[in-house]
Amino acid sequence: MTQATVILALVVITALGFDFTNGFHDTANAMATSIATKALRPRVAVALSGTLNLVGAFLSVEVALTVTNAVVRIQNANGAPRESLTADGGEALLLIVLAGLVGGVVWNLATWLLGLPSSSSHALFGGLIGATIAGLGWGGVNWNGNGSKLDGVVGKVILPALLSPVIAGVVATVGTWLIYRVTQGVAKRFTDNGFRWGQIGSASLVSLAHGTNDAQKTMGVITLALIAAGDWTDTKNIPFWVKAACALAIALGTYLGGWRIIRTLGKGLVEIAPPQGLAAESSSAAVILASSHLGFALSTTHVATGSILGSGVGKPGALVRWRVAGRMATAWVITLPSAAVVGAAMWYVGHLIGGLGGAILVFVLLLGFAAFMYQRSRRKPVDHSNVNDEWHEPVPTSVER
Amino acid sequence: MHTLVLALDGAWQVLLAGLILGAGLPVLFALGIRSLAYGAGGDAEVSHARPHRIGTVVGYALFAVVILGVLLGLTYIVASGMGKTISFEHLYPTIANK
Repeated sequence: MTQATVILALVVITALGFDFTNGFHDTANAMATSIATKALRPRVAVALSGTLNLVGAFLSVEVALTVTNAVVRIQNANGAPRESLTADGGEALLLIVLAGLVGGVVWNLATWLLGLPSSSSHALFGGLIGATIAGLGWGGVNWNGNGSKLDGVVGKVILPALLSPVIAGVVATVGTWLIYRVTQGVAKRFTDNGFRWGQIGSASLVSLAHGTNDAQKTMGVITLALIAAGDWTDTKNIPFWVKAACALAIALGTYLGGWRIIRTLGKGLVEIAPPQGLAAESSSAAVILASSHLGFALSTTHVATGSILGSGVGKPGALVRWRVAGRMATAWVITLPSAAVVGAAMWYVGHLIGGLGGAILVFVLLLGFAAFMYQRSRRKPVDHSNVNDEWHEPVPTSVER
Repeated sequence: MHTLVLALDGAWQVLLAGLILGAGLPVLFALGIRSLAYGAGGDAEVSHARPHRIGTVVGYALFAVVILGVLLGLTYIVASGMGKTISFEHLYPTIANK
């Protein structure tokens, strides 16, 4: 076994780890409202979402290998790695990808510990950007594409992140307001049962779309690493085991459920009633699918959060905790730079030691971080049994209406 | 600056599609529930009015429209996984190459 093979194995394991955190970070996007309104029991909800993510991931028959091209220049337009980075058995590229992935995983775990929904794609892109800046300099980053279409960090990450919560929020506000108008005069017990099914349906669509979209990113990254190490040459297809492993990792992550984040989105942001849940999930599903149809890259997390916020704004007299929303917005702003700092630091560590030892040290550091954060999470565990407990904001809530 | 124009151009299209599908379909669904309640009468409504058969029929018709919308979404997800997309150039949706 050569040195590059071991590094490749570490990259693959880390990438699957990222996929796993991607899954449990985003369970909330699809299922937080259904769990909060008790349309589904918590464990049924995560099982349904996990299954649909699995199906969705396998539906990705045509996977683009050019995931990283949106933000960094380590691949050619056809998905093959840059020749300059593969000279020494691909180690230069593998180290950038490994450090980038570690940046993404560390940030995903940190935000999970804080119960904040943050975008997994921002975390991944942030990590890759940081590692690329460290490894190749500022010129290695695709800041704005060539200006002819939406591309680069500005066009594919920053602008959509600013616009998508607003779009989803407007749609959900309009939907919620109209739904309440339309169902006036109908007995509450009657509507709640009907909306229950609407919520389950729309949440399922979000889960399925999530599986097709997000699992693809990791599949693309792993295949890139395989090509760089010389273990795969086809830039049109990906190995089946990669697809199966990614599908399982994201589904398992989703099934385990990021209960802390589910709790924040479902209980913390807005007190959600079934009609709001339906409006929020429908808005998320429609905005995610429409934007992917129109080639407008957005993050499921931003859309889902905007939708839930909108469902609170659209219902007259609903309680919206703007302070919680503010904390989330802060997390979104710092996601990309924070993951970038971790990614860059990891690259320097790996580069300083060099070769196999460097890659192993980076991986061990990741395991250390992960173990530390898991340990911290046990102090105040959140799981299916207490996910729906009453939300107590530590500060007075009188000004937050 | 140019990028901002491109982004806003994409954004209003997403907003429009979002409003039609993401707010329109749930409102149809809500109308369906309203109709069903009108059809069921009694405890289903605050007014406790008599049941009206027509409400049940209209209600299920509305649900059928919503289900068509959901199927459109499903088709799109499956098609995009195959590297295809849905084209609206014939007014009714057809599956096309990307």
